[in-house]
Amino acid sequence: MDIAFLSDTMLQLLRGAPLTLELAATSVGLGFVLALALALALQSGPAAVGWPIRAYVATFRGTPLLVQIFLIYYGLGQFRQTLQALDLWGFFRQPYWCAILALTLNTAAYGAEIIRGGLQSVPHGQVEAARACGMPPWTLYRLVVLPIALRQALPSYGNEIILMIKGTSLTSIVTLLEITGVAQQIISQTYRAVEVFACAGAIYLSMNYVVAQALATLEHRLSPHLRTPNIEDAVAIEGGLH
Amino acid sequence: MVKREERANAGARPAVTVVDLHKSFNALEVLKGVSLTAREGDVVSILGASGSGKSTMLRCINLLETPNQGTICVGEETLCFVKDRKGRVAAPDRRQVERLRRGAAMVFQSFNLWSHMTILENVVAAPIHVLKRPRAECVAEAEALLAKVGIADRRHHYPAHLSGGQQQRAAIARALAMQPKVLLFDEPTSSLDPELVGEVLRVMRALADEGRTMLVVTHEMAFARDVSSQVLFLHQGKIEEEGPPDTVFGSPKSERLRQFLAAAR
Repeated sequence: MDIAFLSDTMLQLLRGAPLTLELAATSVGLGFVLALALALALQSGPAAVGWPIRAYVATFRGTPLLVQIFLIYYGLGQFRQTLQALDLWGFFRQPYWCAILALTLNTAAYGAEIIRGGLQSVPHGQVEAARACGMPPWTLYRLVVLPIALRQALPSYGNEIILMIKGTSLTSIVTLLEITGVAQQIISQTYRAVEVFACAGAIYLSMNYVVAQALATLEHRLSPHLRTPNIEDAVAIEGGLH
Repeated sequence: MVKREERANAGARPAVTVVDLHKSFNALEVLKGVSLTAREGDVVSILGASGSGKSTMLRCINLLETPNQGTICVGEETLCFVKDRKGRVAAPDRRQVERLRRGAAMVFQSFNLWSHMTILENVVAAPIHVLKRPRAECVAEAEALLAKVGIADRRHHYPAHLSGGQQQRAAIARALAMQPKVLLFDEPTSSLDPELVGEVLRVMRALADEGRTMLVVTHEMAFARDVSSQVLFLHQGKIEEEGPPDTVFGSPKSERLRQFLAAAR
């Protein structure tokens, strides 16, 4: 085993890691906001907004992310004049923003479905209890509906976050030098695909391990009401009293 | 125990007035014009077979169901529902509905405590976020209320960690924390194991003795007989019989009420 080559490769690949994390964090963050808005609009918006949202979700869930990135970057590039006229060319000529857009639209489509499921799982009686004490709609969502729905959606949403971190690897197709892009660059120079991709895989694995642990911790923190109270909790409760 | 009628104060102001309430679910007419007046300190028990409209009536008073016609008045707030020429009812003003609801706290058959909040958080949530009162004041008051219903030691537990009876007592504390004009109880003991019914009824009796205004949909005949100042018997969406409990239970006039009481015995 060529330890020197592997460690050198690792160091080079790690230079792509910030871009990978940036793409993932931006698209997951923006995607969550969009997904939440879409799910709320589906749940309690007017009927007229329902079908465009469903069409959007069906399109972005039903086509490969790779195709979406391709079409947004190369496809929209065909309409340069129009985009220039609309003053949008500055955005669409950059692979970075096209990748962010594709990743965000993709994750928001899945996220909207996940959050919709969470919203539907909120027990009707608890919503009624909130309405019955005169809570205005926004307070009701903030205090009762969203905490329950998002807690319920968290395991599936965590899955989606991990999928997105891996999904960023597809943006190498539009020349972005995130981890996979850097890997392909190294391979084209060295022809040592197995070692380079193994290193790249190891980096994704450790990133996702950290994210999965963080999600598990968050889930544990958010679900004391779903566990049987144990002695530690009881001690903590008593500690809080004195 | 003090008998309600002896204490009932004929001069007291009306806390809740319902006039000619109609409610249909599509073609099914559930309430066909019911009226009631509860003065401050009254305990009104609403009896009736299942499907008689008693829960719907209570839910209309809190506007969890929107009536098709009629007037509801809780404290200072009055809402009128009138059909227009096409037979539709205009949606009531949301803020007015919210104000009315603050005065008419509801206790549900299935408790409906907020599962992700501790018992204390359940009790303080609405006073802090709806009534906009200072947190410290609400917490102190909530702790007193939880002590009153006998679950002060459970205040940092979550609803799922409590027995049904304890959950219902927490729900009563949550309702009391709104300092409502009237407490609405929708079959508060119907989903409890028999051995837990007593602890909830004891709390309700204590509230009645304090002079709280209460409307109670119930199947607990002993409670209705001993605690109420007034009993309504609903049948097929209409008030079949009403009066003080001694009269309603002692000398029922209608055949239906006689059958109902015989079956309940």
